[in-house]
Amino acid sequence: MNPKPTFEEALQRLEAIAEQIERGQIGLEESIARYEEGVQLIRHCRDVLARAELRVQQLQIDDQGKVESRPFPVAAPPTAGDAPPR
Amino acid sequence: MKRRTPSRPAETPSTASSDVNVLTVSEVTRRVRRALESAFPGRVLVTGEISNFKIHASGHSYFTLKDSGSEIACVMWRSAVASLRFRPADGQEVIVAGSIEVFEKSGRYQLYAQQIDPRGVGALEMALRQLREKLEKEGLFSPARKRPLPRFPKRIGIITSPTGAAIRDMLLTLERRYPCVDVLVLPVRVQGDGAASEIADAVRKINAATSALGGIDLLIVGRGGGSTEDLCAFNEEVLVRAIAASTVPVISAVGHETDFTLADLAADVRAATPTAAAELAVPVRLETLDGLSLTQRRLTIGVQRRVDLDRRTFSHLARRAPFREPEHLIRRREQRLDTWLADVLRALNARFHDRRRRLQRTEQLLSRIAPDASVAAGTRRLHERLARLHLAMTGRLLRIARNLDQRAARLQRGAPAGRIPRLSELLNDARRRVALALHQGLDARRRRLEAAEQLLNALSYRSVLQRGYSITRLKKGGTLVRDAARLSDGDRLVTEFAEGEVESRVVNARQRELFET
Repeated sequence: MNPKPTFEEALQRLEAIAEQIERGQIGLEESIARYEEGVQLIRHCRDVLARAELRVQQLQIDDQGKVESRPFPVAAPPTAGDAPPR
Repeated sequence: MKRRTPSRPAETPSTASSDVNVLTVSEVTRRVRRALESAFPGRVLVTGEISNFKIHASGHSYFTLKDSGSEIACVMWRSAVASLRFRPADGQEVIVAGSIEVFEKSGRYQLYAQQIDPRGVGALEMALRQLREKLEKEGLFSPARKRPLPRFPKRIGIITSPTGAAIRDMLLTLERRYPCVDVLVLPVRVQGDGAASEIADAVRKINAATSALGGIDLLIVGRGGGSTEDLCAFNEEVLVRAIAASTVPVISAVGHETDFTLADLAADVRAATPTAAAELAVPVRLETLDGLSLTQRRLTIGVQRRVDLDRRTFSHLARRAPFREPEHLIRRREQRLDTWLADVLRALNARFHDRRRRLQRTEQLLSRIAPDASVAAGTRRLHERLARLHLAMTGRLLRIARNLDQRAARLQRGAPAGRIPRLSELLNDARRRVALALHQGLDARRRRLEAAEQLLNALSYRSVLQRGYSITRLKKGGTLVRDAARLSDGDRLVTEFAEGEVESRVVNARQRELFET
């Protein structure tokens, strides 16, 4: 199995494991092995979800495709320049 | 039919020729139709006010278009009605696009409407409509092109004004729902000259830089609400094409719920507002965590059930005879061991008695033919050794039996059901080793006993020869000769003396006296 699955892959794998175990068509040892894999995946997913602060970067990409970035404040107050609501 | 046209009587003298100018109703209608068709070739645009607008059960629509001076009956077929972008109503000033045709059956001319637009939309609206049709034909808005959004994006690109309410709404919503996502903001002007090109450029650049940025799962392109003119950048071809060409899935978020732009049509998903776009872009973190907890519970319950099932199967097995009563099993083994030990003892005894009997016979024979004190002493020693051997073997067997008893008792004390198979194997192993030891011990002792016996036998008859006796055997087979009558002429004999032996041949077997002693 891919050592660093994406979140979505991890969830898919988890669903497959849960179904396998629930259907009871695999033996005890296999069930326990799958269970351990599932717990690992859940831990991985929880790690991904652990961050509670949004990270925002403002990008500047020039015509050569060179990227520059700097932090962008999340709670930026609205300033003039945007169209007023209708 | 016979009436003449009063205005031109002279030119139509005969009935037949006057008939040429008499038209049937159908002919009139046909001529009117031709005249109308040439007067209004193809599509015409007619402006007026709608009245009596009705949609029939068939789906076709009938209405009247009128102005202060006149009115014209209008028909709109079901297919055209379906493509209406607004709902026509009585009193609306509209421009109807269609063709003027004559309905021959009733002799009425009608406007067959293909399209109805509210008045005052102007050329801009017209141009937009034309662009929309063009891009639609190219398939840019085809539902087949729409890609599903990733359910759990890691990194989202937002192309919008960095200073508007739109970006603030989106960031707040993202932080509230799913703060574990990374956001990359690409600031652009969202209105004014060149805004469309700038946004299109940003879409292309961020697509090109995707891998440099570590992968982008989703783009949100949009702005907050504004007037139709404010939103018009999102209707420009350059931007619509850029959005359609994006390899990263795009959510469009332009203006308010009621605003529809071509960018919306080209995007994979159209969000009604920027806030809605952020909601569409990410799941809710807490719900996702709940889902994980649920999955964990499912796994635990599943495995628990599996374990219970196996435990049930096991206890079912364990209830069966050999496992139910381990003591019984051990006792049965013990019994077999006892029986076997008894067998060994019996065999051992039998062998000793047999040896003793044979020894006694030899002793008797020897004492009969040679009452020699040394032989008697030898046999006595032999007897003693046999007795000692018997005692030793018996003692050893008893020790083994005791040892086994202790072992069995230990096994019985500490024998949970699961260990029974291993314990019985242990017992078997012990038994095997005991058997082997016994067998080897017995063998060695038997060999030594036999050697002693042979030596004793040899010594005893040699001492007889020393006294002048000799022993005669048949050369063939080595049988002792005790009866001359059993010999035949020509038989070869070997006679053994105290020192050396001699071979001879029987020449007269009938002279038995010669051999009698």
